[in-house]
Amino acid sequence: MYIKGVGMTKFDYSQRAWWDFAYEAAIEALEDAKMNISQIEAIVFTGMSSAAGGEHQTHKVSFLSDLFKTNVPIIETPSVCGGGGVAFWTALHLSGFKNILVIGSEKLVDNQSDIVVDWILSAAERVIEQTEAMIFPAQNALIWQKYAEKYGATMDDLSLIAFKNHSNAALNPKAYFYKRPLDLEKIKNSPVVASPFRLMDCSLSINGGAAVIVSTEESDIKVVGSGFATDYLLTFGRDDITHFKATKIAAKQAFEEAKIKPQNINVAEIHDAFTSVELISYEDIGFAEEGKGNELIRSGKIDLKGSMPINPSGGLKAKGHPISATGLAQIYEIVNQLRGKCKERQVTNPKYGLTQNIGGAGGSVTVHIFEKI
Amino acid sequence: MFYKCLKCNKTWPYNIKKCPFCFEEIIKVQSNEMKILACSKINIPTLLHPKVPYFTLLVEDENNNKYAYKSSTEKKIGEKITYNKEDNAVAIWRKKYDSEEAIRKTLDLINNPIQENIKILILPTLISPNHEYFRDNTSPNFIDSVLKIILEKTPKENIKIIGQSFNDVPIEASAQKSGLLDACLKYNIIPEDLSKDIFIKQNNLEISEQAINADLIINLPIMKIGKISATENLFKLLSKNSYSALKYLHSEPEEIIIKQINETFSNKVLTIAEADNVQGIDKFNRYLGLVLASKNYLEIDKVFDILTMNKKSHRVLENININNISIVGRDIEEVQHNTENIC
Repeated sequence: MYIKGVGMTKFDYSQRAWWDFAYEAAIEALEDAKMNISQIEAIVFTGMSSAAGGEHQTHKVSFLSDLFKTNVPIIETPSVCGGGGVAFWTALHLSGFKNILVIGSEKLVDNQSDIVVDWILSAAERVIEQTEAMIFPAQNALIWQKYAEKYGATMDDLSLIAFKNHSNAALNPKAYFYKRPLDLEKIKNSPVVASPFRLMDCSLSINGGAAVIVSTEESDIKVVGSGFATDYLLTFGRDDITHFKATKIAAKQAFEEAKIKPQNINVAEIHDAFTSVELISYEDIGFAEEGKGNELIRSGKIDLKGSMPINPSGGLKAKGHPISATGLAQIYEIVNQLRGKCKERQVTNPKYGLTQNIGGAGGSVTVHIFEKI
Repeated sequence: MFYKCLKCNKTWPYNIKKCPFCFEEIIKVQSNEMKILACSKINIPTLLHPKVPYFTLLVEDENNNKYAYKSSTEKKIGEKITYNKEDNAVAIWRKKYDSEEAIRKTLDLINNPIQENIKILILPTLISPNHEYFRDNTSPNFIDSVLKIILEKTPKENIKIIGQSFNDVPIEASAQKSGLLDACLKYNIIPEDLSKDIFIKQNNLEISEQAINADLIINLPIMKIGKISATENLFKLLSKNSYSALKYLHSEPEEIIIKQINETFSNKVLTIAEADNVQGIDKFNRYLGLVLASKNYLEIDKVFDILTMNKKSHRVLENININNISIVGRDIEEVQHNTENIC
């Protein structure tokens, strides 16, 4: 399968309707693909819903039919933060269609943060874990504590990840932190939210949309590897609590299909919902040996001017994390990097790009590999 | 509590009935020792956890099962979590999908006052002919679990389930619609209408003779925010005439009834309160996921009032000092949340 076009809105807190984010991203993708909607034979959509409930819509497929004036099959594949990747994976595995439009959009942040956070927390287990205060920052802070205890990584390593991603986002016009870089000291001294995590270790819940058109017809970008795996919702019921097994499985599937190695990747977008998740993912994907992810961030190799930049878009951390749209926004960045269209944040001559999108705390993970033809 | 397949040893935190690999029965495995593996201090309030700071712990039991645990106090890595047991305390425990285990745990925490071979009168809440999801009446699953536990101690012949309607709706209608009737019939026990009982006059109040003669009255209120559900449920032990007369002739009828109940039944009321999805003042339900148990029904009402952060407490609770109530099991701070919000 090939990528014909990509689109993405700016990630922000604007209070446009959920479908407006979807529509803008889809139109950009169609224009990028030099197509119109009549050439789309199926649509895959992913999204949560409005936190405050004003725009709750559980029949989005019919809404999208109305919006795009089409009667093609439309399916919805919700998988919270991993929804974009799962929708894309679904499109790749749908047979019998030439052009499929994949859309992710969220207008999740439409109320005070207590309400929005509570809605996001429905992506974790409510009765057993949430009641015991296993909110996402706590969950990842506890995973990190066990990881750090096992391998000796430090909070300074995580601050370097936040610094890198904020520096990259400052160069991305569609990122929330565009033209607003943060200095390392400010990151290191931000308030502690869930010890040892500070505010600047956490990504940014935001609104936005992204879209990708996949096609059986050849284009300049080929999807050469695709992997998808799931894992238990209760993070601490898993065998190894210091790594994400679903990422390991999905990455293995994607690399085997692509017939390349992690060292062949030139640029990657990794799911940095928390700085620790990015670091652990270096190892789960195969960019670093187990326990040596901190060496990768310390080396500068994954900085924008390094040999394999990670999260040149600014990542979820500083571009922003509109939940279901994130996975497709990662593909938007990689496609544009492979095409050499990223201006100030352009990576030098990449051939292979990778995206890793996670739902919840490693509960559903997709890994995709793209090749510039 | 964990649920394990005897054949393949796979373990679940959910109370499933059969293993999907072996199709074998599942056994329950208790967590008796909880050792702390990691601790994170949380400084950001959420709807379910409004008071900060608090601590989210990662704990491990003796079978290497790991899970989350909220604590109101900081704990050290390696420290163990233990619980006190006390006869006259209010026990609080989380339900986590399994009513039976939560009820067993609360009873254990107050040194289970249900003796063997005693005559037991069970008084569920039965007040309206509504489906279970309204949370008006004691849930079928809750009374099912209570009956299962009691029948381990005393034969069916010693158990009576009673109810009384103080309005025009017969208790049979409430029992049938709520599903409580089917839960009782599973054990071949038919709920009885107490209005047909003999009532004995005590200090101008008519009180059920069956209740007076029972060894133990198990009060099974379904808790409702802003109400004294545990206390009010016991009012059904009075005759309808007595209750109506008090209600319309006195400004503070609850105090008179409470005084009489305390005099008549002194130490033979055990309250096991259902506080899972609880009805709010606006009649919409809030998730709480708790079971409470105590020999003191008023203290249960007070504790429930505090842990639901109710702002308009019932008059009879005003003079009860929460600091004078012994709490066992979970701390109030660990389970308390603002039920003004529906979440």
